[in-house]
Amino acid sequence: MSGWKFWVLMAVVSGLSCLPLLSSNNYLLQVVFRIALFAALGLAWNLVGGYAGQLSLGHAAFFGMGAYGLAIFTSHHIPMWISLILAALFATLIGGVIGKIVFRLRGPYFTLATIAFAEVLRLGAANLDITGGAIGLSTPSLFTGPSFWKLFYISSIALAVMSFLINYWTSRSRFGYYLMAIREDEETASAVGIDTANYKLRSLLISAFFTALAGALYGSAFQFIVPDSVLTIDISVQMAIIAMLGGAGTLLGPIIGAVLLLTASELFKNEFGERHLLIYGTLIVLVVLFLPEGIVGGLQERLKRRKKPPTGAIPSALGRAEVQGVEP
Amino acid sequence: MTPILELKSVSRRFGGLRAVRDVSFGMQQGEILFVIGPNGAGKTTVFNLISGFLHPDEGTIIFNGHNITRMPPHDSARLGIGRTFQIVKPLPSLTVQQNVMLGAFMHTSSVVNAEKEAGKILSFLQMEPLKDLPARGLPLAALKRLEIARALATKPKLILLDEVVSGLTTAEALALAELVKRLPEWGVSVVGGVEHVMQVVMKIADRVVVLDYGAKIAEGKPEEVVKNPAVIEAYLGAKYKEIVQ
Repeated sequence: MSGWKFWVLMAVVSGLSCLPLLSSNNYLLQVVFRIALFAALGLAWNLVGGYAGQLSLGHAAFFGMGAYGLAIFTSHHIPMWISLILAALFATLIGGVIGKIVFRLRGPYFTLATIAFAEVLRLGAANLDITGGAIGLSTPSLFTGPSFWKLFYISSIALAVMSFLINYWTSRSRFGYYLMAIREDEETASAVGIDTANYKLRSLLISAFFTALAGALYGSAFQFIVPDSVLTIDISVQMAIIAMLGGAGTLLGPIIGAVLLLTASELFKNEFGERHLLIYGTLIVLVVLFLPEGIVGGLQERLKRRKKPPTGAIPSALGRAEVQGVEP
Repeated sequence: MTPILELKSVSRRFGGLRAVRDVSFGMQQGEILFVIGPNGAGKTTVFNLISGFLHPDEGTIIFNGHNITRMPPHDSARLGIGRTFQIVKPLPSLTVQQNVMLGAFMHTSSVVNAEKEAGKILSFLQMEPLKDLPARGLPLAALKRLEIARALATKPKLILLDEVVSGLTTAEALALAELVKRLPEWGVSVVGGVEHVMQVVMKIADRVVVLDYGAKIAEGKPEEVVKNPAVIEAYLGAKYKEIVQ
């Protein structure tokens, strides 16, 4: 997408995201809070799963560490906002340690290791005293008063914007190019001098930080956390699906994914009750079948195919006939 | 003059198979050296040992005064060893230009500079018309050049071209050989690996090392090597050795 069109689109998106502030319907505000929060999560996941191509299904671990971190640090009389940052930094630190281990694995083994890591944390939280066991912990509310949901909505938008800017910077910096090279072929990446383990780890650190901030915000908004609400594999899967549905490794993909998936899920939930999961599943199957690159990725691919150089421009020593797609 | 690359008694086993045994050779700055040998002679293993994708069981490899015997591939790439892969390994969903920029990023963090550098290299390899196409779906002739372009963009002192012309038509191979011959203009030495396209080797190699069953059986100028009875035997069998003589 060329420069000005992109920024016009961004202006429209930011305009739209201000609209809910006119309403004082708490249900509506809660829904848009979740959409913005999951857009931020999808964008955070996108760094590791999209640009670097490392399919993590353990991001609930960072989400949960953010939420539990906020609750535990504040219970030790640390001011709320400092606890929030501490929780995110703690998750990042643990992310560094875990990344060192799981990035030794590739493909499905990496994915399985990330699932295992998150499950260990979930079981730990369900059995330790400091986390309140299966009963859970109450989390401090970052905001109070009548505009409670409005303020939470604004902070989730702020988080989504920060995640977006990090993605934007990534998409046009050497760092992003290095991550994409790792995704496409790790051996080629190391042949051009990329320390692949190091760059994968860096992407995870940034991703873990933002995921933990989102987790803390979520915990704080709902004021109570249990292992099955913030450390469940559902969170990990949802982050991945949001990014992949919209288009993993694209800038707008995770945002579009979050808006579509959460709106659909909310509408169907009201209409069909528990059966909404069935529709949700069908939707995902359809996208995987017909748009495997995701919505944004699929559209970009179609645009790219239109650009073909004129026949005469290609030297025959490069296999001109094959580029043009005709038999020699 | 000290050699840019030197292998000293290098050996590497895979289980019971001795893929490379006691191989030694060196090369000077600006030289084009070809490692040739029949299928399975150990050429690719030698390339993997030099570029750090594999490490030798015995022996040492010195590059430009550094001992690189146990160096991981990204470090030897930063020291100035560029490589291409026998089975081409493009970054499929990136464009031709972006593929080359990845090499250029070794010396600049600016996207604009990397684009400029990629442009220079693509025009040298006559690939400019393809620059906006995704690497996925390009013909082999273009992919082979893309491998070279990406390696060249890292500004290497030595470039390893594994089976650079295999699978190409004769016309494509000769056109590419002309370009490989000009690589020393960019200040790089070349180690090429070729199984049997002797036409290319004869045309551009300064020197040839012949491997058979992992061991070096001959070394010298191309026109000498092709007359060497051991080389003829390795390629064609003992019977032909007698006929030729």
